[in-house]
Amino acid sequence: MIRAVLRKEMVALWASPLPYVVGAAFHAVLGVLVVNQLEVRQQAVVQPMFPLAGFLLLFVVPILAMRTFAEEIRTGTIDLLLAVPVPPGPLVVGKWLAVWCTTLVVLAPAGLVVVLAHLWGRPDDGPAITGFAGLALLAASLAAVGVLASALTASQPVAAMITVFGTLALWFAHVGSAVVSTGSALASVSLSERLRTFAGGAIDTADVAYFACVTAAALILAGLAVDLRRLR
Amino acid sequence: MLREVAFRVEPGEVVGLLGPNGAGKTTTIRLLLGLLRPSAGTARIAGRAGYLPETFAAYDSLSVTGYLRFCCRLRELPNAAIELALAAARAEDLARRPIGRLSRGQRQRVGLAQAFLGAPPALVLDEPTTGLDPEQIVDARAVLRESAADGAAVLVSTHLLAEAAAICDRVVVLVGGAVVAEERPGEAADLEARYLGLVGQAGLL
Repeated sequence: MIRAVLRKEMVALWASPLPYVVGAAFHAVLGVLVVNQLEVRQQAVVQPMFPLAGFLLLFVVPILAMRTFAEEIRTGTIDLLLAVPVPPGPLVVGKWLAVWCTTLVVLAPAGLVVVLAHLWGRPDDGPAITGFAGLALLAASLAAVGVLASALTASQPVAAMITVFGTLALWFAHVGSAVVSTGSALASVSLSERLRTFAGGAIDTADVAYFACVTAAALILAGLAVDLRRLR
Repeated sequence: MLREVAFRVEPGEVVGLLGPNGAGKTTTIRLLLGLLRPSAGTARIAGRAGYLPETFAAYDSLSVTGYLRFCCRLRELPNAAIELALAAARAEDLARRPIGRLSRGQRQRVGLAQAFLGAPPALVLDEPTTGLDPEQIVDARAVLRESAADGAAVLVSTHLLAEAAAICDRVVVLVGGAVVAEERPGEAADLEARYLGLVGQAGLL
């Protein structure tokens, strides 16, 4: 059932202009920012790319995820799915996998930066590998939050805004952590702080667990939101 | 809001759900399908139900066959069910067409096909002939009668009294969220007179 939902979602996503437009805009902006960083540093390194790419994903993933449930709610196709009845679990996971896989495909050309860095110098490949692993985990979490937001509303723009502002809050959670009593707790839920370790070339299991927990929590809540829609 | 609603649809029977706008027809159907939870009482379908909503919507990016294949996967049916369902809905000519390019009537035929997938023991159809041309309406009515003859329990919500008279074994009249009559439809003219009488008694005319 998950495979059927995944396949249908992938067809719907890639039949729309969204991945192409969003992907082109993502790489255009990322390219400018990364080249600027390389010029400033005068070093063939890839580490500066990951925080930039991570930040841009906060805007890319919500756009890819916004239609998953919101469109089904708006058009009424969700009723046919729930009347079958399709359990919320496979429905949510199938849609999340489609958004995550699409994000990874959109992200993939960023690997060219590593190739370019190799043409210009001898960069360390370790941070490149862990950096992309971090971005993949971040994308998984953002996709899950996007699917959750989409399950809460029939409006795609509202779903996208909920995801953008929600994940921006998590991205900058560490800002001001030094001036409030709950500062360390805020820093520990910061998406950017969690990504920083990966970009530095290390994989901390606590960071992996954090992304896994955010993803799982958002997917469970999305399942509940879909189930509640059935029982209102 | 519904109150005092009680009726059964037996296998082999076509029952029409009649009533003015806001009488509770769609709410009754949504309760039956588990899309709403009743605050009291029970609504139950014995076995799987094929459902056609009042406004049928599908995924424009898929072909008709692709959409029905997706429905088969969700319902754990073999792909062979697609051809049978398309034939039952007189929609074989639409098989390769993208859903996004179908007219309203053609979409409705696809909606009927998805409801017929796997020949479910119960069919719940909300305004099934909406958007169909006269020839297709005649076909759709025949298909519903055939489904009942094959043993399906068919519940049809409709505004059209002539349609109810043509295909239903029994009609349930809902007014203001309550069943005010449950009877054989008889001739269209008789049904119209009785229906208008019931609605008029309820102060809606």
